Amino acid sequence: MRIKAKAKDGVVTVKAMMKHEMLSYDIAKKKGKEANFIVYINGKVDGKDVYEASTSQFLSKNPYIKFKFKGEAGKELELSWVDLKGNTKSKKAKIK
Amino acid sequence: MERRKFLGFGLGVAAISLAPVSAVAKNYRKELPKVWTIKNPDKENDLSGVNEAIKAIFGSDKTENSGVKLKAPDIAENGAVVPVSFSLEKASKVALFQTSNPECTVAIWDIPEAGIPEYGVRIKMKKTGTVVVVAEVDGKLYRADKVVKVTAGGCGG
Repeated sequence: MRIKAKAKDGVVTVKAMMKHEMLSYDIAKKKGKEANFIVYINGKVDGKDVYEASTSQFLSKNPYIKFKFKGEAGKELELSWVDLKGNTKSKKAKIK
Repeated sequence: MERRKFLGFGLGVAAISLAPVSAVAKNYRKELPKVWTIKNPDKENDLSGVNEAIKAIFGSDKTENSGVKLKAPDIAENGAVVPVSFSLEKASKVALFQTSNPECTVAIWDIPEAGIPEYGVRIKMKKTGTVVVVAEVDGKLYRADKVVKVTAGGCGG
């Protein structure tokens, strides 16, 4: 997972890319694999939610997201995801 | 043997029931499982599936076509990666749909207190279709539609 978080005038802009195949039911069937994709993405600063998305099989492979929230530089953003099979990953990034 | 099976089962359940508490605050996969299976009709640009999904998520499909700025390309050369973004001054919940894939719903966002609803995401579109964004603002629903022409399929081979 790659995260870039930049603060300007009290607004943090985040660009993040997650590494995931995002196999939809259609594609999985063609490839003879099981469908699996990220179903939930959460961003937190100081334990408080700043981003929350429930997602589907129709996000692109290696999903890229962009979002904004009110915050300041110097703090840490923790981004995490959960996929259909229950795998999770999380990563922290300092807000610049 | 029986006992072993039973123990294994118990552990599995414990793992599943623990996960939502730690990582998941409001997961619409769990709260509204049906929304994700609503299908698009097999007709081009038939929005009836999308409208059904809007009703299932927001409790109403009475929307105003204003307030939401939706950005998506007119023509997508690669349906596997279609950039879609939207912006609003404020919103409590936003959902994204399309008519290009077997099912309608792409994502649902709960906008936290600190959140600013200017979000972007990349989606798959199997064929030409309409992208729809619906946002809930102070109990009212606002909507924006945009047709995206897909010249190469989003199946990703």
